[in-house]
Amino acid sequence: MNADTRQRLGNLGGLAVVLIIWTIYAVYFSPTQGWTFFLQLSVNGIILGSVYALIALGYSMVYGILKLLNFAHGDVYMIGAFIGFGVLTLLGGPLNPAIPVALLVLCMFVVAMLGSGFLGLAIERFAYRPLRDAPRIAPLISALGVAFFLENSALLLFGAQFRDYDGFDLISYNGIHLGGDNGVFIQYLGVIVIVGAVFLMFALLALVHWTRLGKAMRAVSFDREAAAMMGIEPDRVIAATFFIGSALAGAAGVMFGLLFSQIYHLMGFLAGLKGFTAAVVGGIGSIPGAMLGGLLVGLVESWARGYLNGNVSDLVVFGILIGVMLVRPSGLLGTPALQKV
Amino acid sequence: MRKYLVAAVFAVAVAALASVAFGSTKSPARTTSAGSALVSCGTTRTIGVAAPITGPAASIGQQQLRWAKFYVQRWNAQKANAKKKIKIVQGDTQLGVDTAFAVKVAKSFSSNSKLLGVVGPAGSQEVVASTSSYKGGGLPFVSGSATRTTLTDGHTDGNRRGFFFRVVPNDSVQAPTVANYIAGKLKAKRVYVIDDQETYSQGLANGVETRLKAKGVNVSRDSISQTASDFSSVIAKIPGTTQIIYIPWQLAPQAQAFGQQLKAAGKGKIKLFGSDGLFSPDWKIAGSYDSFFPVASGDPIVKAYEKAHHGNGEFFGAPSYVAAQVIVNAVTTACKDGKASRTEVRKLVAKTKIKTSILGLPVGFSAGGDLKGGGFGIYQIQSNGSFKRIG
Repeated sequence: MNADTRQRLGNLGGLAVVLIIWTIYAVYFSPTQGWTFFLQLSVNGIILGSVYALIALGYSMVYGILKLLNFAHGDVYMIGAFIGFGVLTLLGGPLNPAIPVALLVLCMFVVAMLGSGFLGLAIERFAYRPLRDAPRIAPLISALGVAFFLENSALLLFGAQFRDYDGFDLISYNGIHLGGDNGVFIQYLGVIVIVGAVFLMFALLALVHWTRLGKAMRAVSFDREAAAMMGIEPDRVIAATFFIGSALAGAAGVMFGLLFSQIYHLMGFLAGLKGFTAAVVGGIGSIPGAMLGGLLVGLVESWARGYLNGNVSDLVVFGILIGVMLVRPSGLLGTPALQKV
Repeated sequence: MRKYLVAAVFAVAVAALASVAFGSTKSPARTTSAGSALVSCGTTRTIGVAAPITGPAASIGQQQLRWAKFYVQRWNAQKANAKKKIKIVQGDTQLGVDTAFAVKVAKSFSSNSKLLGVVGPAGSQEVVASTSSYKGGGLPFVSGSATRTTLTDGHTDGNRRGFFFRVVPNDSVQAPTVANYIAGKLKAKRVYVIDDQETYSQGLANGVETRLKAKGVNVSRDSISQTASDFSSVIAKIPGTTQIIYIPWQLAPQAQAFGQQLKAAGKGKIKLFGSDGLFSPDWKIAGSYDSFFPVASGDPIVKAYEKAHHGNGEFFGAPSYVAAQVIVNAVTTACKDGKASRTEVRKLVAKTKIKTSILGLPVGFSAGGDLKGGGFGIYQIQSNGSFKRIG
């Protein structure tokens, strides 16, 4: 077991201790005591965290390969949500779907993922590739520019009105009751989101670990020049990374629309920030870290809203970001940056 | 060479966009520090309409703009006004995004020397943020929806007396109306109050909470952000025995999502009660209650508007018709000698006396700028999404 692995295991152990202490406090000593409330908030947090995790994966993948914070990623997620809404509208809308609902939802995901993926490709090709050898601040500014460009383009194309997915009418208001009618309630929609997110995350892990493309991605991430000397085309690998990361953001956009109904052109900003926070907390560049970070951010947000006042949920989430940065600058599952000499 | 060509094309595109953007504002002219500079009225008099034309509150802002335009269109069509016309300059305040947009609009209006008065802005926080710009330009501004009580008390949120007026009753009227209805008519004993962290919402939530508690109602209080979409944790906190959830919010789509998530959490039987900010077709949770300004729905002008808009009364915007009426009346009187100043218009706005209006009551202002008289009605959302007055 090397030092990095030991440190990650130590981080996970520390996290487990914190979570156990928190659970005991929340269930037995907080003003709103009880397992049911705690578990309900935890389920809500995992559902929300699944969406954040998918966004975080895009940040993490791009950072892992290019060391670039792609601030336009949140807006790719927004575009994905609009593409999904477009498919929903074209196929009859939530109240009168023209095809079976399961097929409709599948179409929404597939088209949104493809659309967002190609958008990611275009962003990489026109906004980042020309700046590949520029100082690191240049692509960062370009990323901010792309973010504003996408937000305002969405405003022009789709208008400023909120669009209503009406996911509950489309799929179902029903769900699973655990522990009777007064127990924990999980909506079917929530189950779909969790299962979908877990499937996509494991598909990504499989791709990264067991395919030639994944091996090439890891190689480029480790050393782009050396990878090029070994016959890998870094530009193609980077483009593929953008496509995959953006496609995941598109899927997250559709999940968000189905779960929370209302989408609008500025929705990517805060979600992007939360996804970024998740990626950093988990250890930016690490795929399992992004998943863990997403779930943690979702859980913390849900617990903060439930046990404290809604005023302070974002304060707690971003406070934790600062705390993790102070204690573990490379995140929970990240690798400390090595200075190459 | 190719790089230079791309750069040149980009530069030309940016220049073209900039020229379009700046061209639309025309020459901004100078700012009049006290608004005393005389403007030649000519045949076209200009007023501003500041409303959330885009953004999350666009549905209500568009209504306000359409109603203000409706007044101006009718005024311009009158034979007596054949040789003079009113022109509207519109400003998008994007309520719910950032008050900086409202300030930009206020600055732009203030620097437009032809502009003599303003209809708007819509939100109380926008009024607070943009007051110094309007005062700096000497402009009167008449809101058709900003209801926060302290806007007109002269000290809590700053002093804007003589500049700011509103043609809707304030929350000191709305809060007791709502509390009386919840405790008296609905006989609710367990109420959950959630504000949206904006000045308007918090003020109203505080007012209703205090009054309900005084009436012996068990009130719990929470808060959500205007950017929130996931309400599941807040909903988990709400006891199933709650009878009414009071949500004095400004963004109707947010209230709609809240209602859907409440139903999905198995708490759909709890009734929602909104405020004037939610009086919008975007909020359509059947059975919900809403407090709203007085509008004389049988008035021929309201009927004419409905006819011109496919039967949709868009009542939220109706007070902006009256706000436009107040400003245009003042501008017209000030322009009788061919020249007018903003100071003159402000003084005339303060002296407004309109005997009958589409609000169903006379329009005049108190020293603070509040509408004299008027109350709030209670409406209920029907299964087809329409609002029916019930109290």
